[in-house]
Parts: sequence; C-alpha cells; structure tokens
Amino acid sequence: MERRKYPLYFSFPALAVFLLFFIAPTFIGIYYSFTDWNVNADSIRFIGLDNYKALFEEPRLGKALSNTLIFAAAVTVLQNAVGLGLALLMNEAIRMRNLFRTIFFMPYVIAPIVIGYVFRAIYHPEHGIVNEALGWIGLGSLGQDWLNNPKWALFSIIATDIWRVAGFAMVVYLAGLQFIPKDLTESASIDGASYWRRFRHIVFPLLASSFTVNVLLSVIGSMKVFEMVMVLTDGGPGYTTEVFYTYIRSTFSMGQMGYSTAINLVLFVLVTLVGVPVLTALKKREVEM
Amino acid sequence: MKRNRALSLVMIASLSAAALTACGGNGDGGGAGNGGSASSPAASGSAGAKPAKDPVTLTFVIANTEDTTAYTKVFDAYEQKTGNKVELQALPGGDYDNLIKTRFSTGDFPDLFLMQPGTKQYVKLRADETLHEWTNESGVWDNVIDSIKQAQVQNDKIYGVPYGSTGMMGVFYNKDVFAKVGVNPPTNYADLIEIAKKIKAAGITPFYEGIKDAWPPQVFYYTGWVTQVDPAIGDEGVAKLNSNQLKLSDIPELRDLFAKQKELKELGLFQDNVMSGTYDELQNEFGDGKVAMTFMLDGIIAQLEKKFGKDFVANSLGFFPFPSATDTGTAMITPPNQLMVPEKAKHAAEAIELVKFMLEPANVDLFYANKPGIPIYKGATSELYPAQEDVKKYIDEGKSKVNIQNRLTPSFVDFSKTLQNFFLDGDIDKAINEFSSNYQKDGKAKVLEGF
Repeated sequence: MERRKYPLYFSFPALAVFLLFFIAPTFIGIYYSFTDWNVNADSIRFIGLDNYKALFEEPRLGKALSNTLIFAAAVTVLQNAVGLGLALLMNEAIRMRNLFRTIFFMPYVIAPIVIGYVFRAIYHPEHGIVNEALGWIGLGSLGQDWLNNPKWALFSIIATDIWRVAGFAMVVYLAGLQFIPKDLTESASIDGASYWRRFRHIVFPLLASSFTVNVLLSVIGSMKVFEMVMVLTDGGPGYTTEVFYTYIRSTFSMGQMGYSTAINLVLFVLVTLVGVPVLTALKKREVEM
Repeated sequence: MKRNRALSLVMIASLSAAALTACGGNGDGGGAGNGGSASSPAASGSAGAKPAKDPVTLTFVIANTEDTTAYTKVFDAYEQKTGNKVELQALPGGDYDNLIKTRFSTGDFPDLFLMQPGTKQYVKLRADETLHEWTNESGVWDNVIDSIKQAQVQNDKIYGVPYGSTGMMGVFYNKDVFAKVGVNPPTNYADLIEIAKKIKAAGITPFYEGIKDAWPPQVFYYTGWVTQVDPAIGDEGVAKLNSNQLKLSDIPELRDLFAKQKELKELGLFQDNVMSGTYDELQNEFGDGKVAMTFMLDGIIAQLEKKFGKDFVANSLGFFPFPSATDTGTAMITPPNQLMVPEKAKHAAEAIELVKFMLEPANVDLFYANKPGIPIYKGATSELYPAQEDVKKYIDEGKSKVNIQNRLTPSFVDFSKTLQNFFLDGDIDKAINEFSSNYQKDGKAKVLEGF
C-alpha cells in the first residue's frame, strides 16, 4: 500500500512554534551568556568570555559537574535495569498484571516536588520509614540521616529518582516487547534455549530501539535534574549534593543573569557531548525487524 | 535509516536546547523588566495626593511567615476611620524577595508591602526608580527612635518606614537548667565555656545548633560580630566593607569567631548528631530542659510560647549577649521590617496615608498590644518578657549595636551553606575565604561601587 504523503507546509505551524519558543530563546540565551546582564545594572554589556573565565575558576562548578555526572550515570543505568526487569515481569501472564503496571507507572505522573516532600518524611532520621524498617529487622544501627549525611545524601536522591522514573522505562520497554514476534522466542524454546539465552540473543537485541529511547531520555533528563535535589537537600549539606541546576538557581537568585546563562550553556554543551555519542553508539546496534 | 539518524540527532539537539530555553525566556522577561520600570505609564498616585473620596481597597503584601494579627487590628481601625479596606496578600516567606522583585518587573505593584530591614532592600528594588521617598514626609519620623531612622538612610534618602519592634539575637538560655546545674549567666567568653562544660558534666546538652535547617548557625557570627568584630574595626571598618576596601577574610576577630565555633564542636558542647539539628527540635529540647543554651534570634520566643506556654517564656527563658573576652558583651539588635509604597502603585496616595495612620501613637499602641516587642517609637509602650527586658537594658545603657547584615549593602550570600561545610570539614581558611568571596560576588552582582 502506498503511503500517503502530506504537503511539507503542514509542518510550518509546528516549526514556527518550535523556532519561536525553543530555537530563538536558545540563541538569545547563547548571546546573553557573553554579557554582564544583571538585574541590578542599568545596561547590558558584551563582556566576551569573562563569565566563562569566572565560571571555570569557581570551585562549586567542579562539585556540580561531578554530582551531575554521577547522578546521570547512576539514574540512567539503574532506571533502565529496574525498568527492564519490571517490563519483563509485567509481560508475563501474572494475576492483576494491569494493576501492577499502573502501580509501577504511577510515581512518574506525580510531580517531583510532591515526591520530594514525601521522601523527606520517608528518609527522616527519627520518624522515617527507612530507619524504622531497618529497626524492625534488627539493623537499626545502619540507620542514617539519609539526606543530611554527606556520604548518603546524593545516593538517597538517586534512589528516589529511580523510584520515580523506573515505571516510565518499564512502559517503553513493555511497548517494545509487544513488537517482538512470539514465534522467534517460541522456536528458540523448542530448540532448548533457556530463558536467559532467549533474553540475551533474541529479546534484548530486538528491544534495542526502546533501549535507545530510554537511555537517551534518561541521560538528558537526569543531567537536567533540579526539583528532586532542590526539595530533598537544596544541594546540601553544604555543597555536597550541588548539581548544575541548583547552582544555576543560586546565581539566578543573585540577579546574575548573564553568568547563570553561561552555566546553562556549559550544561547544554555537556548534555550534547554526552548525548550525541550515546545516541550514535546505540543506533548502531539497533536491528530492523 | 540515514533519515532516521538525522532525525534522531535533531531530536537530541532539541532536547539539549530545552536546557537553555528557560534562560532565553527569562532573557526576554528580564529585559522587559529592566525597561519596564522606566517606560511604564505615569503613576496614578503620588506623595501628597489627597485621600480618595470614594472608599478603595488597598493591597498589602506581607510574607506568610509574619503573624498578621496586629496588622489586621490596625487595618480594621483604618477602615472604620476612612472606609478604605486593606486586603492582605501573604506570599511565601522563602521566596518573598524574588516574588516581590517579579511583581515589580511585571508592573504588578502592591499598594503597600512589608520588606526586611536595611538599605540593601533599596538596591534590590531599585528604590530610586520605583519607591516612594519618605525622607521629608511629615507625620512619619516624629516619634521614631533616631538610631532606627538612621539605619534606613542611604545617600541621604529613605525609602522604607520601619514598623514593628526591635528584634534581637544572642544566647537564649533555660533558667531552670542553669538553676539545676548551679550556674549563672557568664561574665566573659571563657566563663561561658566553663559554664557549658559544667552543664555537659551534668548530662545536659550545653548548646544546640540547627545545622540541618542551614540558617541557625549564622546567628553565632552575627551576635559575635557586635561583641568582638565591631569594637575592632569600628564604623570605619564597616564603611570599608561597604566599599570593598576591606576584605572579610582580613579581619582577625572574624576569623576568631570561626575558631570559637569550631572549638565548641571539638569540645563536644553541641548536641550529638549536630548535622541533623533542626530549629523545631531545638525548641522541643530546650523547652524540655534537655538543652541549656542556643545562639538564636528572638523568633524563638513566640515559638516557645506556642509550645510551652507564656509561663515558661516569662519564668524560664533568659537571654544574654555573646560575651567578650573581658565582659558580658554587646547586645545585637535588629531593626524592624519596613513599610514600602511603590511610586506606581494604583492607590499610592491612600497607601501613604495608611502608613501615617499606622504611625499614630494610638495605632502604634494597638499594634504592640497585639504583637508585643521592644518599641522603636518614643512614648510607645509594650508588654515585654524578661528576656526582652534584658535586651532593653543593654539598649538603654548604650551597649547595643544593629545587626551587621542591616549595615552592609552586599549580603552574606550562601553563608548557611558555607557553615554547613565548615561543620563537616572544620577548615577555617576555606570557610572564611568562601564567606569573603561570596560577599564580594554579591557586591559585584548588585553593581555596587568598589566591587
């Protein structure tokens, strides 16, 4: 059947909106990052690379960079591992499957700020469920002030975010699983292939496009993390959980618009530098069905 | 396949670009804000305009952390007299400054609003362009204590009218605990340490710090500043800090405050798990007699009254300043918040009249009757707790000084974060250099002369 082609100009309204609200502000932002734009100043002057020089001399940048990368790496890997595991489980013929699918997806539709407040209570050192649960099973000595101990704070945020987004990854993988022809796995079963071998040699390669989408969205989304850190720790204690966006917020609230736009541009470059190679590598291993 | 790859690359670039979009969007907004204040239509009201003949409804914006009872009482009296109503709009305290600035930049001016004290608010709000000037306004300054008025002056101009009572910061102590251990308020700093050691030996936590809440540990420095930094650098030194001719990190007495706080931690005089300390837990432990002392601001008085009753505050709550090496120290006081009227407010003339009404002696007394505190107006009376009476004595004896934050135009940006780090690593050099550097950065951000 011949595919019906629509005229190109149908896309113009969408392109116009995209240009006006995404592309144009991006270029305006790039320009402002080279200015001394400040809410307290009367005029905006072009200052070349001064904002970037100041930024790379700032010790907080290093902490924000390392925390952002640790967060992105951990969330990307674990979100996909947990999401894939849940998808495989929810693809089996188990009772109340749809109810469980809904439950696992539900955190994703709750606002991160709400989740942050809930988890602040869960992680509370004295009245929180985590420490209470550890106490019930006789591991009370492992209890922590999860959000205020510099050793654990970032990992507590990571765990919370994985809980929030794993359901989304599950849904994408579930969609991918529906497109894998049953006859492939069934014939492999008849040939004596174990579950693990079927997964490794048939299911996982055919899930490659879902994997690409999930990994890419995870990498980009997690590098832009803000609300979860803001609500749970506000980058603290001290600067121990500072990420790019909490640092940007801090400079924005000081009225240093040009400088904070420069930080944002660094993040933009970083996301692109990480995102493009990841996409290129993952696209290579995708197979056509 | 190639087209797919190209599309994918466009997609990733777009998603990455979204990271910048917020900035670009704000860029437009901020630009409009800058220009907006200069190009908006002329104000409908101005100083000296006659009160409205028809009743109007004025908007009064206040932080939701403020108790509004006293204001409501005064506004009721205003409505009875003039027929004008006052609508209270409570904005979230944590973002109050940003919300006010946003309303200014979008031209959404309240008729009247309450702001934190100090001339630094003038810089934040570009007062010379946006706010009504009160310098020579009649019926405003007649009864205001001069030192409070002077704290409002910048370049011979005043844009905010102080309203409320003098606040204080210092060491609040539980008198019952002191009596139980058999100690008295200290006569000097060394004495304070000895008292704390005795309290610890009696099994009670000498000091409590709410590090988790970030802001409480700053109080130690503000109270310590008036006792040991001000006498060393004088008003000249403060002026130099204001013009960036003196660096905070070059003040040895300030460095010594960092050393003193570190010493308290190393001597184990703070509560266990000091990093987990919160303001709320402090109140509970203090009221229960498990904690003897805390470096704190006077907001704790109202909180303790709510939790433990008036009797506790009247009989068991004591106060003394941060002691010096040789005497009991200087009381640190904070000016009250200030009332401000935007020049372009819809009902600016009525708002100015309202401020004058609020300052009439009868209405000042009505305010204090509902919100007791150390008065800032001559002839005004207010019921005071013993802890407040203690501070008033220091004020009367001339042994008080206004909080350094209210005398400096740049702010101590991120000081709470610096102190959280300081409690973690104990690195005095790192902490004071960061404190100093952030202060200079804020001066630069505010485009102040010398920075």
